[in-house]
Amino acid sequence: MEFKEVIGTRRSIRWFKPWKPVEREKIQVILEAANRSSRAVNADYPRALVVHRSELSDEVFASLRNPTTTVDLDLAPTYIFWFYDSEYLQDARDNLKELVRNKVLTASHGWSEAYVDDVMWAQVFVPMQRNNAAGLTFQAAVETGIAIGNALNAAVDEGLGTCLHAMSGVDKIREAFKVPDTWVPVWLQLVGYPLEEREAGGQRPRRPLAKSFFEGDCTRPFEADPAVTERLRAARLLQEPGPLPYRDTEVRMMSRMFGLPE
Amino acid sequence: MSSSGADDIGQCPEVRRWLTGSGYDERPAERAGVLDSLRGFCEFAGQTPGELIAACLRSTSEGMAISGKGRRSMQAAIDEYVASRGLAGRDAIVVGNHVRGFLIHNGVFIQGPVSIS
Repeated sequence: MEFKEVIGTRRSIRWFKPWKPVEREKIQVILEAANRSSRAVNADYPRALVVHRSELSDEVFASLRNPTTTVDLDLAPTYIFWFYDSEYLQDARDNLKELVRNKVLTASHGWSEAYVDDVMWAQVFVPMQRNNAAGLTFQAAVETGIAIGNALNAAVDEGLGTCLHAMSGVDKIREAFKVPDTWVPVWLQLVGYPLEEREAGGQRPRRPLAKSFFEGDCTRPFEADPAVTERLRAARLLQEPGPLPYRDTEVRMMSRMFGLPE
Repeated sequence: MSSSGADDIGQCPEVRRWLTGSGYDERPAERAGVLDSLRGFCEFAGQTPGELIAACLRSTSEGMAISGKGRRSMQAAIDEYVASRGLAGRDAIVVGNHVRGFLIHNGVFIQGPVSIS
């Protein structure tokens, strides 16, 4: 699938084929995509734990449920628990110097290994770890979110359905899966083959660019060029909005397949 | 709760909201079945449809909110109801989810089991 179509096709998928496992190679693709994400100071923020529903004990499975995820958890065959490691700065000094040695961060832009040691580490990272818990959390959450964005799009590109959910039963998860204390929960990503059509009822509603994006200053909305919009429709970044005409029937049929409320 | 027939409750505003929102009103053959599930549950619980909804809610300073305790109790009552009817497997799930569907269309966020096997 082309890049723009991947972006345009991504939906939160809530109907999976519970009988169809996800191939391990596709999970690897998802994780590699996450591992290639942009990351400030080249630190390793995200941590991911891949678990298959069929391998969970009843007790652990029950602890994962919450009022908003029960059906999704029953249907998705694979779960990826996303965390960030709150000790991400521990290796950041060496990771950053690696970028200097690899000619990524160069003298042209003021970088040197000495700068990393004397300034970035001594005057930024160390005080940050000591005094700026909110800043650490903010940075880790944002950077992990960027990685998860890659993971979502990679899943779509692999023909999978995927959706993010809040993580419930964190204490049980820590115990059952030996999650280190320094890992902080971010999202639970459900993965599986979609039962619903790839369009999942149509592209989700979004407000025009001009509502949220600005140009020059924040009183001047970014106005979309209709010619570009048309090009994005052709490339399927912009797709037919929902609800598609068959959506009611599709949902009813899927509900009946699993005996769910209509 | 009267047991004179499914249409007793079919005219309640809360039930009307469910039947209209779910589309059962347009499918009379199915409508009778789901109403029977709800009527049976009302009799089992000794509550009207409106009382079932109220049992899942609590009032707050900002208005009505879902009661976690009430919802858990309702889940347990639904499970007991389908068991009392001698239902098991998919039949139990479907009938229980009829009741949950009524609650959902009246603003109670509740999810039930999935019939996969």
